[in-house]
Amino acid sequence: MAAKAKHVFSLKILAECSTTKARTCLFTLPHSVVETPVFMPVGTQGTLKGLLLDQLDELDCRIMLGNTYHLGHRPGPELLEEAGGLHKFMGWKRSLLTDSGGFQMVSLLKLAEITEDGVQFESPHDGSIMMLTPEKSIEIQNAIGADIMMQLDDVVHSTTTGPRVEEAMHRTIRWLDRCLKANKRPKEQCIFPIVQGGLDSQLRKQCAIELTKRDVAGFAVGGLSGGEEKSLFWKMVTLSTDHLPYEKPRYLMGVGFAVDLVVCVALGCDMFDCVYPTRTARFGSALVDTGLLNLKNKNFSEDFQPIDKNCQCSTCKSYTRAYLHTMVTNETVACSLVTVHNVAYQLRLMKRIRESILEDKFPKFIQTFFTTMFPNKNYPEWAIEALKSVNVNLR
Amino acid sequence: MMKFVLKNVKNGYRAGVISELGNQPDKTVDTPFCMLYTRGGSAPHLSRDVLNRLKNLPLVAHMPLNILADHHEAVRKFQHGIGKFAAMEDRVVYCSLHDPSTLVKSGYNDKHGVSVWGKGGKLKLDTELFMKIQESFQPDIYQALSDGDTDINSTRKRCIKVVDRTLSFLDSILDIHNKSERLKKTAIFGSIVGGYNEAERVRCVKETVSRPVQGFVIEGFFNPGPDTEHFQINECVNLLQKIIEILPVDKPRLMQSIWPPDAVIQAYELGIDIFDSSYPYVVTERSSALVFTYIIPTEETEGEELPETYEINLTDKKYFADFSPLLKDCKCYTCENYTRSYVNHLLNTKELLASILLMIHNFHHYFEFFESLRRSISDGKLEDLKKLINKPKKLPSVER
Repeated sequence: MAAKAKHVFSLKILAECSTTKARTCLFTLPHSVVETPVFMPVGTQGTLKGLLLDQLDELDCRIMLGNTYHLGHRPGPELLEEAGGLHKFMGWKRSLLTDSGGFQMVSLLKLAEITEDGVQFESPHDGSIMMLTPEKSIEIQNAIGADIMMQLDDVVHSTTTGPRVEEAMHRTIRWLDRCLKANKRPKEQCIFPIVQGGLDSQLRKQCAIELTKRDVAGFAVGGLSGGEEKSLFWKMVTLSTDHLPYEKPRYLMGVGFAVDLVVCVALGCDMFDCVYPTRTARFGSALVDTGLLNLKNKNFSEDFQPIDKNCQCSTCKSYTRAYLHTMVTNETVACSLVTVHNVAYQLRLMKRIRESILEDKFPKFIQTFFTTMFPNKNYPEWAIEALKSVNVNLR
Repeated sequence: MMKFVLKNVKNGYRAGVISELGNQPDKTVDTPFCMLYTRGGSAPHLSRDVLNRLKNLPLVAHMPLNILADHHEAVRKFQHGIGKFAAMEDRVVYCSLHDPSTLVKSGYNDKHGVSVWGKGGKLKLDTELFMKIQESFQPDIYQALSDGDTDINSTRKRCIKVVDRTLSFLDSILDIHNKSERLKKTAIFGSIVGGYNEAERVRCVKETVSRPVQGFVIEGFFNPGPDTEHFQINECVNLLQKIIEILPVDKPRLMQSIWPPDAVIQAYELGIDIFDSSYPYVVTERSSALVFTYIIPTEETEGEELPETYEINLTDKKYFADFSPLLKDCKCYTCENYTRSYVNHLLNTKELLASILLMIHNFHHYFEFFESLRRSISDGKLEDLKKLINKPKKLPSVER
């Protein structure tokens, strides 16, 4: 084990909630200081769906995601290296996080086979057999140059049970060590290990404890949000945060629904990502505190309000629901307009959460949030349970 | 009511100022100019927030009716007109009948009305519906309903018919317009039709001129649509000259087409004052960036190499690792922040941002070209600009 070095990547806890496990922190990365809890929008191919760099700046977005599988294929690590990394290639000056590429291999590709060496898959482009090893994943991620890289993990579907889950957990730990060793730019780029262990409490706990022995800047909780029961999901989340070091950030992968964000912040998570806000925008759906507005719906054809009168985004400042209704199905500009709003919504939600934690009013925020989202008080059972576990009783 | 004052007529070239426009009475616009092309009320691919990052944005927004007409009930209930409805309230709105880049099929007009093609298919506009839409939209200027469905092959009989109809539409429109409270500040441009028949063209001009219209739209030489980019104005130059000769000099003339820069200069020389900007949109849709030079060389820059084509196609693999801007020294947002290589990547991955970045650049380039056109007129250097514009070939060959 390497001696614990002083990290460029430092977490400063500003305030913690006196009721729940929530906290608000400053996470210093090479390209920006990120305020947590944070939602990170997903810019799969090195662009956030139709948004200019200045628009992201104006939304105060400080960190976004790129996907290693996609970027590794196009434009490819050689070009990214020649360009001086993804930051320079896309003109983005703030922080980036990349995944390992493994998840896409397993979820998008047929015939992916996992061996101790890595993930073997058939190239969708020329049909040849290719191998993504932990070393290869880090090599590509080093070329991309994101502030935070993800270890290659052995991904199993969240509903899988039995010995395969345990095998994946142990392999994930072995692959972490290979990833850490392969990192050529540890001063500029850190690696987050990923807590695996499926829906098995013992395995998750064991995994978290084992990963914690490595000198890393933060941890991710993976293998969830894949269609498992929510009552099991939140228990795995809270168990993971219980066993991860307090002074390091915890990133819950693939979570981005507003309700999930509020609950999981209460359970002690600091970082989130999800394609949902940008993907749903493309179908004309706008996020609001009461849920979702499907702007394609005829009800909006004579609705001359903005999407959300409390929202300060450029879309809500200029456009009505009625006008967006005329555009959503046929002009690309509508996609950009709703995307701007949805990203603004996610970032503002996190800002409101952070402010309430700073003032130690987070439980009150949770209460108001839930009564707005569920005016008939038909709260999801799992959320009631999860919040109860951190001393918040939804009324 | 709209005013047009000529300020410079040299060798038959004209430059003027339009003022007192409907909802923007304090602003003026210099001719010749191009309008801001829109689809469904917005600049293609560009939200208001993005559009406002462009310098030299035209004051007049061009809103073809075909896409918007479907929504006139909602705009009527909104009550504040199409400009504000589409978040374009800081522009002057001109409503044309057709979109210059959308093909208008021949044979769908009759004495009761004219067909336009929107997203939901064909929409038949009679004068009553047409005026109901104008009263809802409250544009600053609109083109009178017209039957411009003629081309070089149209018969004399057909040419007589389109003139008869268009004049009859105009009378019904004026009747409703003059009684309308909501259109009090709105100007009408009369449509000059008649195909390639000189007698009918002359009749149309004389009759239209005798009615209270504030400007003229010249159409009926070709059907709107993608092919107009290759229309050779030489085909109708004599007739166009004849029309312009008998049009009053103190009213602006507008002509819609996909206008490459050489055609703009040619049409301007014949006497056209107002153009549309569908050309940069069409260029964007084929993944290209405009690179033609419109800056007249000074002694210092004389002899610098000119681009070989009007545009470069960014899907070409030669731009894969080209980290220079779309166009060297271009001051647009795209060129100041992004590279050819990045745009090539966005096109390869079919990302929406590609169209946005190309549209910003192409609009910027085209609007700057018009600025240069006006400057060259006032400086007496139009011939120099023409030499620059006529040199390059139009389209590049592309290797993917």
